[in-house]
Amino acid sequence: MANQAAVRPEISWEGGTSPFQVSWQKLMMWFFLVSDALLFAGFLVAYGYVRLSSDSWPDQGEVFTMALIGVMTFVLITSSATMASAVGGARDGDLIRARKFVIMTAVGGVLFLGMQAFEWTTLISEGATLTQNPWGVKGFSAFFFVITGFHGIHVLIGIVILVITAVRLGRGQTTAAGVELTGLYWHFVDLIWVFIFTCFYLI
Amino acid sequence: MEVSSSFKTYWQVWGILLILTLFMIFFESVDAPVGVTIIVLVVAMLLKATLIGGWFMHLRKESIFLTVILVAATLLTVAVLFFLLIPDAMAGTVLQ
Repeated sequence: MANQAAVRPEISWEGGTSPFQVSWQKLMMWFFLVSDALLFAGFLVAYGYVRLSSDSWPDQGEVFTMALIGVMTFVLITSSATMASAVGGARDGDLIRARKFVIMTAVGGVLFLGMQAFEWTTLISEGATLTQNPWGVKGFSAFFFVITGFHGIHVLIGIVILVITAVRLGRGQTTAAGVELTGLYWHFVDLIWVFIFTCFYLI
Repeated sequence: MEVSSSFKTYWQVWGILLILTLFMIFFESVDAPVGVTIIVLVVAMLLKATLIGGWFMHLRKESIFLTVILVAATLLTVAVLFFLLIPDAMAGTVLQ
């Protein structure tokens, strides 16, 4: 044994057991969110490239109902606030309050998806597809469906995670750290919408 | 029920986000020069992103090491994507 200890290589790592001072679950969630953010960054930069390369671009104010987009944004921001309140409740040890706010957040997500479905249906009924649209620039509707579609899938996954979190909170099977991980994902969905809302709908 | 200070903060942030969103919708409809509109909207967008990341996602309370790595990695990659592609688009170069 003494010989084994003598030949053991010198340990140079001095970062301790938690160099980022967060749990490994939270660290992995952050790394996932950064990689997922880069996916959307790729979409939005590609969108910027095609838009700047095009001779013309449809006026978003004429294509989209801005009041609806505004309400969708309001719902998502509100759901982010209710999610933050759920995390706060869980941290305070009030799991009933946390569960209530998690359910409210899920309802916000469902409302958002419902409005997005209405927006998609409206545009499709006007003749917009992935390959063509009545506004002249082919890439316009392709980018619209791909970018908002990917975001919508993220919202849908978020709703599933929220429902699971609410059920587990009710059974006492999750902790404040679990609610916080759910919160990180949901806030990310809101964060991405901030960029889509500005780059795609407003600018 | 006692309301914690963090609870109040979350809803104050929500109020600011809402005001910024309404301001952005209003400003987009104003007949301002395109450059000014883009700058104002991008600044408001980054402000909203900072509020969500810093307050809702609690990034401002995480270790500075973690924050710098996450934010720097994201911004650097986005900057590489942006500066590799957008100048070509602005110069009128179209991919064949």
